[in-house]
Amino acid sequence: MRPILLQGHERSLTQIKFNKEGDLLFSCSKDHVINVWFSHNGERLGTYDGHNGTVWTIDVDSQSRFLMSGSADNTLRLWSVQSGKCLYKWEFPTAVKSVAFNETDDQVVCITEQRMGFQGAIRVFNISRDGDGTRQASEPAHIFNPIGSKATVCAFSCVPNRVVTGHMSGKVAIFDYKTGEEVDNNERAHGDEVTDLQMSPDRTYFITSSKDKAARLHQTKDLKVLKTYTTETPLNSAALAFGKPYILLGGGQEAMSVTTTSLRQGKFETRFWHKIFEEEVGRVKGHFGPVNTIAVSPTGTCYASGGEDGFVRVHHFDETYFKAKPYGDLEVLD
Amino acid sequence: MSRDGNVLFCSVARSDCCSSLKILIKNSATVKTSWADDVEVEELEPPKVEDYVDENGIRITIEYTINDEGKKVKVWSCFKLSCVGGWLSIVAVYPKITRKIKRTLQKSLVDHAVAERKQWSKFGQEKENKPGPDRATTTVGEDVVLSLRAGGKPTADEEPSHEEKLRKQLTQTAGGGKVVCRLCKGSHFTAKCPYKDSLPILNEGGAETPPFQDDAPPNEGPSTSNAGGKYVPPSMRGGAGASRGPGESMRGGRDDLPTLRVTNISEDTQEQDLRDLFSYVGRVARVYVGRDRETGAGRGFAFVSFEDKATAQRAIDRMNGRGYDNLILNVGWSQPREQR
Repeated sequence: MRPILLQGHERSLTQIKFNKEGDLLFSCSKDHVINVWFSHNGERLGTYDGHNGTVWTIDVDSQSRFLMSGSADNTLRLWSVQSGKCLYKWEFPTAVKSVAFNETDDQVVCITEQRMGFQGAIRVFNISRDGDGTRQASEPAHIFNPIGSKATVCAFSCVPNRVVTGHMSGKVAIFDYKTGEEVDNNERAHGDEVTDLQMSPDRTYFITSSKDKAARLHQTKDLKVLKTYTTETPLNSAALAFGKPYILLGGGQEAMSVTTTSLRQGKFETRFWHKIFEEEVGRVKGHFGPVNTIAVSPTGTCYASGGEDGFVRVHHFDETYFKAKPYGDLEVLD
Repeated sequence: MSRDGNVLFCSVARSDCCSSLKILIKNSATVKTSWADDVEVEELEPPKVEDYVDENGIRITIEYTINDEGKKVKVWSCFKLSCVGGWLSIVAVYPKITRKIKRTLQKSLVDHAVAERKQWSKFGQEKENKPGPDRATTTVGEDVVLSLRAGGKPTADEEPSHEEKLRKQLTQTAGGGKVVCRLCKGSHFTAKCPYKDSLPILNEGGAETPPFQDDAPPNEGPSTSNAGGKYVPPSMRGGAGASRGPGESMRGGRDDLPTLRVTNISEDTQEQDLRDLFSYVGRVARVYVGRDRETGAGRGFAFVSFEDKATAQRAIDRMNGRGYDNLILNVGWSQPREQR
């Protein structure tokens, strides 16, 4: 595999996302810019300029028409994917840490941080897809304040009116956003902060990564832990490889201790684990710092990783990846 | 194809012909470059270009350029072309010689929406930029290997740790790959033996222990104790303090030879004199004469080591009380330092 290096950011990456067809790759970083790239050749299509702080989170709808971004400048913005124009802006008292579209692209959920005396809140907005998208409701359709540990990541569940959240304490919970009630939770899903949460295509299960060095596969229905992948470094991101029974994990030691440990010790690699056998099957190195975010193209033919070093590396899987059968002739049905 | 375009792809292809890099160009005329290359192109604009497509669908471009020495150079470029919705994508480049390049274009069937998105004009910081990847933001990295295999942590493409390397090296050099514990005969190093505290070291008739050398550094422990590759303090060498007390000095290593303490010798007695004297009894391993640090004159005592205990005993019997250099020798067993 020959990775394509994308150098569109001056600071560490915070999140990367593929669109549904996997031809566009969105990346955001602490340098306030959001970039969009053609994934097949690494050409930059454009940038979404306007944020005034670290862009913590992005999500693109399934039609690749709208892009949502949440930033430390306390705004949530809606962008036109094609033109790069900001269509709408919501302002909050604190930073937006996580944003996600629902399956039908008409709602977004976002988490605002608990800070400066303000409570952390989870808001659900209805997105109007009529016209050019500049006319949106300024007030959220639903808002609630989860009690207890801060929420760090969120996504819509496969069940209507439910969102799945990951928390600072390692808790994973399901909320009913209409009532704000915590329907179900798993307090001990992780031992430390949940850093990433990515849904399976049908949203019946999801993967979380945590600073407690483990990634776990959860069932959306009852938050039962299906699989656990324990590594030796804190994890920043976990992704599901589509079409293949693998899990991609990225991490590395904390940014603050990077200079005091050697590169080899740092384990700045993307690790491939077998989804079923919970065993590491391969590694890809390349980043000079911890891997902050990983995304796999929904087509399953390529993946990208964004690191603390400010690079995005796009890897198109070669034939050996598709032919490899590390556990012999067995088929895993998704 | 412009010259700089060739150079760009050359650099890609030279390292890996089966590169998965796909480069889209709007038509085969221009490839996006930096401003520096643009200037170069103008200067080297070929005076004459032949361009044709052969029967295999490979497009051959022959350019004539003037090189640095003012000579005319014929440049061949061959491309295989195919169209994807009016777009050409190049996947693999095969340089034959410096400027002869074969490019195979990859056809790909894409979703209508995806094909449409490829026509989108650039925006934001990329606004007004030419189509095609910009080398300022997009580069091709070094080849990385992903080998998927079962069985936990793959170590193939991971360099082994220093310890592992050293162990491997030791197992290859020492004993032709065989590692035998001197205590329990197991296939591990003596220092790693689980019975090292309970079993005494087996005597193997000196077959595996190196012969003693007079000038060997006295405080070096048995080499096997360094098998782990880690630094072991001298006090912990040689069985990790099992045979020696924790506060003991490191000169214990040389005391495994039977040594006699010879006193009441004259000031000007040299090592060689004593060696001559005692070699009548048996083979002398080592002689040490105590000297004054400043004047270099003898202090009246010496240590004589023999290779076996019987010879040493015989030496005591024969030499103790004997006159030498008009003094009467006093010969006895040398005592370890802390017992004196």
